[in-house]
Amino acid sequence: MLELIDASRQYDVAGRAVRALDGVSERFPAGSITTVVGRSGCGKTTLLRLLAGLTDPSSGEVRRDAARSIGVVFQEARLMPWLDAAANVAFPLKGRLGRAEIAARVDEALTLVGLTDARRALPAQLSGGMAQRVAIARALAQRPDILLLDEPFSALDAFTRRSLQRVLVDIWRRRRSTVVLVTHDVEEAVLLGESVVEMEAGRVVGRVAVDLPFPREATDPAVVDLRRRILARLVGGADPFNPQVCSRRKP
Amino acid sequence: MPARRLLAPTAVFASVALIWWLAGRAGWTNAYLLPAPSTVAAALSDLAASGALLKHTLISLQRVLLGFALSVALALPLAVLLSASRPARVVLDPLLEFVRQVPPLALIPLLILWLGIGEAQKLGIIVLASFFPVFLGFRGGIAGVDPKLIEVGRVAGLTRRDILTRIVLPSALPELVVGLRISLGYSWRALVGAELIASSAGLGYMIIDAENLARTDIVLAGILVIGAIGLLSDLVLRLAVTRAFPWLSADLEAARA
Repeated sequence: MLELIDASRQYDVAGRAVRALDGVSERFPAGSITTVVGRSGCGKTTLLRLLAGLTDPSSGEVRRDAARSIGVVFQEARLMPWLDAAANVAFPLKGRLGRAEIAARVDEALTLVGLTDARRALPAQLSGGMAQRVAIARALAQRPDILLLDEPFSALDAFTRRSLQRVLVDIWRRRRSTVVLVTHDVEEAVLLGESVVEMEAGRVVGRVAVDLPFPREATDPAVVDLRRRILARLVGGADPFNPQVCSRRKP
Repeated sequence: MPARRLLAPTAVFASVALIWWLAGRAGWTNAYLLPAPSTVAAALSDLAASGALLKHTLISLQRVLLGFALSVALALPLAVLLSASRPARVVLDPLLEFVRQVPPLALIPLLILWLGIGEAQKLGIIVLASFFPVFLGFRGGIAGVDPKLIEVGRVAGLTRRDILTRIVLPSALPELVVGLRISLGYSWRALVGAELIASSAGLGYMIIDAENLARTDIVLAGILVIGAIGLLSDLVLRLAVTRAFPWLSADLEAARA
């Protein structure tokens, strides 16, 4: 169970109350994969932070089974600079699992993101894209019941992004964890989501069920058509061929 | 440290010695006020041969290490306490701020009255001089921890204690190391100050004793030894840190105290 009930969140910016999230009610069924798409500052990251329990709602409610484990991939890699890649992946597991189990999970996760050769590298020695892959491996190694991802692939080159999108779908299909992925890329939203939640100015303005089998291809006419329709709604027909409707950084 | 990196500093010191020697040779300097390098070297070798140099050096070194260790042992827990507890901050911060503003040398008369002229007084001065760089460095490092890393710990379900030991303290290490290096340097300065004023042994005493006997060569020899040991102890500290925390080596280069 993962649910927002009339959840709002205000921030105080220079003495002025700014409403980042405005009365959002949204259910994320167990075992589903949902993508959230919208413009810059539309409240996507705030929504994810509420789900993760990192921010409390100003009003309304977040419902989540306390027993469920959460993995989060942030916009930035957020690696511990004093730990090498493998130790960063092992970081959330330490003290909970046996050493052999941790080692096996770290190996598996680093293999999934294609970084077995970099396991001894320190974060300062990794490129931005590699660091982000380590961060993704860290979340995957936890095998969380709920996996929350905030623009996880935007720092990656197109090839790596495509392959990691496949890895994510694969893992979701195998483990049936509840996945919520926030993105500014409408194509990514359509490729990965069973449903796509559209956000604007802190509100959810639409939810589209994507009834297409996985794995999906960007060139599939059904994907292209859906992408165009969502884009048209979100940008108001401004430039339907520019998929970057929401910038990577939230103010 | 690779030999090549020692090349430039060695050349600089050799050049200074050369100019020093030439200045004496050409008669630009008074041989009493600034004895030639060869005179100082002779004094050094005499001091070494008689065992006096080793005796004074070991006494000073022991004082510095003890005082420095005492400072660190006080500063680390206090920094953690004041970072974690608001009441502790409210009570201790104004007091510590006050003590920090008073130069340790100004407290020497008081320390002599309270602690006598023995080892306790020397340690007191060293602790007063070297406490704050470690304390403030560690506190600054703790305060400067990236809140984004703490969120990683919160999401992973870490306890407050785990967040402190596994995220906050390692994050504070670079600034702590800077504090340690500054502290070690301050320890030496304060020690020599203390030994100059009231002591019967140590490098500071050796210098002031030589001044009273008008032996400027020994004064200079003492200064050289103090500088050399200071450089050496900083080098040892840096090597130890680089070995223990390889990820810190980049920060170390930026942190010249």
